[in-house]
Amino acid sequence: MQTPDGWSREAVRTLIAERLGPDRVPQKFRLITDTSDFFRVEYDDVVLLGDTPYLIKGYEKEGRFGLDDQPKYWVRRAVELTTGQTRIIKLVFHEEFETTVGEVAIKCFRSPKKEARILDLVREHRNFMHGRWVLDSAGNNVRILEFIHGRRYDEVVVEYGTDHYDYLHNFFPAVLDQYIELVQAIKFLHDHGEKHGDIRRDHILLDRDLNRNRWIDFDYNYLHGESMFGFDLHGLGNILIFLTGRGDLLVPDLYYHQRETFDRLWGEDLNISYKNRVANLQKIYPYIPNSLNLILLHFSFGANIFYETTDQMLDDLAGARADVRQLTGR
Amino acid sequence: MNEQTFTDLARRDAERHLLAAVDESDNSRRAVMYLADFFSGNRDVFITLLSIIPQPSEDYFESEEERFRWLEEKKRLMEQKLAEYREILLDAGFDESRINVRLSVRHCTSIGDAILEEQEKLRCCIVVVGRRGISHSEEFVFGSTSSRILHHAKNCAVMVVE
Repeated sequence: MQTPDGWSREAVRTLIAERLGPDRVPQKFRLITDTSDFFRVEYDDVVLLGDTPYLIKGYEKEGRFGLDDQPKYWVRRAVELTTGQTRIIKLVFHEEFETTVGEVAIKCFRSPKKEARILDLVREHRNFMHGRWVLDSAGNNVRILEFIHGRRYDEVVVEYGTDHYDYLHNFFPAVLDQYIELVQAIKFLHDHGEKHGDIRRDHILLDRDLNRNRWIDFDYNYLHGESMFGFDLHGLGNILIFLTGRGDLLVPDLYYHQRETFDRLWGEDLNISYKNRVANLQKIYPYIPNSLNLILLHFSFGANIFYETTDQMLDDLAGARADVRQLTGR
Repeated sequence: MNEQTFTDLARRDAERHLLAAVDESDNSRRAVMYLADFFSGNRDVFITLLSIIPQPSEDYFESEEERFRWLEEKKRLMEQKLAEYREILLDAGFDESRINVRLSVRHCTSIGDAILEEQEKLRCCIVVVGRRGISHSEEFVFGSTSSRILHHAKNCAVMVVE
């Protein structure tokens, strides 16, 4: 049997044996060209995308909505049989849902077209995941992503330093440089009229091969209001609060373990979106420079003015970086 | 006054031309009713009822047909609303010739900026908008069109109707 792409079952079998070894050739496998029903794409199936066969492995997982490791059945790890490289295959899954940030409901859409468009846009950009897209035989926009070896950046950062003082004085200057680079990457998207759409700290991977941070997963779009990039900026703010605090400072933890600090907090010191997190970190760590803390306060409940653009935020970050240098000598 | 004289910018410069930026919301209706109540007695006041529908991104739809259908429906509903708002002004005593209705479907990153562009083009002396009364958090995430207009308007007055 030969597929329209010219691949016979035997040729694929030979390729699997060449790439993975003869003992890894599945006894039975299907050659799939139409991925419309992604639940039917199973482990050890071979999906033909463009002129390239991919041996499908497990599905990816993601923590979301407070639940850990939710399977993403439309996102599959695969071996690109022409090169032997591991790839992430994202099949088409149109999803529309409402998420809430604080009490604000935001209508979100998962859009394969958007991610494909951005993959083209960031092809040469160092701070994004890379990949290409192809239409399968049924016209589904399938994204084929390069696999990034590395860990979540937030998980790396919280391991820096012996305590917060040590972290801020010895590690944070480099962290802030990396964060600024990540904001500049988002500015690149915004300057091209694109949103990231799902800015969260678990969407930054520290690529250990290239030693740089990379944004991943930009297939979400949200229905914006007056401020097209407001939700992206909100995500950036939460990440900065996390990085500055070496983790989120949770109100219940302060109540039970640092009662004196808790008693000094006001409602306006809390994160505007997550009211169990502290945004005014200077009240907990007084050595945080004012200029940096002022940026954090833009994301607090007491804020009267909000960032509308990454440019505004980057201007303030430049000032904060200078003050961090003065404080730490780094 | 016919359509041609209404769009005569030189003439309108000497008159009072209000731009009422509206959508389908109750606060827009309130803004129109306020204008009807407040200005219907002034014979030299002209009103442009403007509604802007931002071109929806293709990302929100599974197909172009779906996007087209959504847009057509949105236009139909807005045209209906604009007709209602026009009726409110007519009922209050505005002459037909003093009302202009404009529906614009356009790409825009900010509706506030798009309204101000129209204001500049039409040389309106007052921009009138309703206010949704959104929460602090909502303004943080979504922004506020009335705030944007208040902060960025030039060469005109801004009237925000609560």
